[in-house]
Amino acid sequence: MRRTAPLLIVAILLAALLAVTYAQTEKGGTAEPSRSPWVSRAIPEGRGELATLPDGRRAQLRYKGPPFGAYAGSDFGQWPTYAYGDTRTFPPVRQVAVPAIPGDPALGRKLFMDRAKGPCTGCHLIQGDDVWPAGSIGPDLSTYGDRSLPDQFVFNLIYDARLYFPNTSMPPWGTAGIFTAEEIVHIVAFLKTQKGNPPFVLPPEKDPARNPFTRKLEYYFGDNLDPTNNPAVLHAEGALTQWSKKGPAGKACADCHAGGPETAMKGVATRYPKYVAKYGRILSTEDFLTVHAPETTGMAMLAQSAENLSMTMLIKMQSNGLPVNVDVTSPEAKAAYERGKTQYFKRVGERNHACADCHQNAPGKGADKFLGGRLLGDAEKGFTKHFPTWRTNFQVVWDIRKRMQWCMTPLGMNYLAADAPEYADLELYLTSFDNGKPMSVPGIRH
Amino acid sequence: MAEIGRVRIRIPPQIKRGDVVRVRSLVIHPMEIVQRKDGKPIDKNYQFIHKVIVTYNGREILQADTSQSISENPFFTFALKATEPGTVRITFLDTHGGKYEGTAEISFS
Repeated sequence: MRRTAPLLIVAILLAALLAVTYAQTEKGGTAEPSRSPWVSRAIPEGRGELATLPDGRRAQLRYKGPPFGAYAGSDFGQWPTYAYGDTRTFPPVRQVAVPAIPGDPALGRKLFMDRAKGPCTGCHLIQGDDVWPAGSIGPDLSTYGDRSLPDQFVFNLIYDARLYFPNTSMPPWGTAGIFTAEEIVHIVAFLKTQKGNPPFVLPPEKDPARNPFTRKLEYYFGDNLDPTNNPAVLHAEGALTQWSKKGPAGKACADCHAGGPETAMKGVATRYPKYVAKYGRILSTEDFLTVHAPETTGMAMLAQSAENLSMTMLIKMQSNGLPVNVDVTSPEAKAAYERGKTQYFKRVGERNHACADCHQNAPGKGADKFLGGRLLGDAEKGFTKHFPTWRTNFQVVWDIRKRMQWCMTPLGMNYLAADAPEYADLELYLTSFDNGKPMSVPGIRH
Repeated sequence: MAEIGRVRIRIPPQIKRGDVVRVRSLVIHPMEIVQRKDGKPIDKNYQFIHKVIVTYNGREILQADTSQSISENPFFTFALKATEPGTVRITFLDTHGGKYEGTAEISFS
């Protein structure tokens, strides 16, 4: 199956192709994985449900607007997800014969750079000033041709690298159907042209920012708690109105939580996500509000709604400066932590990626390296203590769940509901790395 | 959003005499934009900030006429040469007679 480009036009062009693929999936009898028993209390786009498109196809109903909008109408239903009921696995390793056609290096370079396919430049650097921005997760291929590797070997590496490296971060491009065998022949021909002069030596880089190995690691966007700098602080302050507003049940937050958020909520958020026996699952602050607000005030506070995000920030801000202190030792929490850890290493989606591929600090993994122009975080340094966070490029607030939902969408996976227990367990695992570190909400990031 | 008219001013924490510092200010305000009905603008007294006045120890150092095309909760920033210790006062006036003020103290380290 092909992936749609982050371009709406291409998405429309591919619609016909996808329709064919979907029909095949139906015939093949690939069942939807059984859903977890938790009924989502998220806004419709955040539930991860399938919707029927005007042309009769079914695809996931995703958030409107960037960046999710680019994937509107594309369906990844055939690929494994994080859902606990989902026992599907990625197809096994495949090896095919190299097609007997002459490779075209120019076409190969085009395919290498094609944003609708890989792009391969997301992880690998090649020669050329037009390669922008290239990533550094995979090896630098600028002088790959000097290594004089056999065509068959390079072909197999691209078609399905699991043949040689069972736990590789390289997606099985051929087995996933993203590149055809013929296309891979062209890419192999292109890679053979990547030579230094003398061998392995390239002329000095003109622009250090082009090269992800010399690019600056810039990510400071000013004081995240200064309202003149971070608009999310204003969103959070807006929740103060909600705090004292009576809901349909005749009660407001302020009626039970005396002393205003500063007193009543001080330190509360440092303990979330935590196991809540009443619901038998891990709940983050956002998740807890989706069930707690309707039960007490009668107000709906759907996951991913503006009210939920603002209130979450208001509550978390009262813990700013206090160390994160989530429980991962009680039996229930320990079990959830282990489930979250398993998910972190579980391979999912069209590209057979795991979280660890990008966020583990280990050889061949992506932490503190570039995926295209994006610097990938190191999970063990902590991800969650600044969420919800202001996204400067989209001018909106994202919580960690939307961040998770977005992580895998470009990699070919349907996301789960924002308040899914699977994400809660994963969030607990990730938050455990922040234990002892001071909270700082809302964050500000690109 | 929070209460209308709340003004926040930020200046760098460490200032020496003669430094040129950046003053950042933010005011909570709806900054109403022109509403239309059937493609025609509705004629009414829209509420938006139309004047910003900055004084430094009582002396006016900046006056700006602003329009509706500025965003909600507008952010204003300007450079200031800190020549003496004292008070920077920023006043926002809106078309409904609202007057919102904020101050920042300049002291030398």
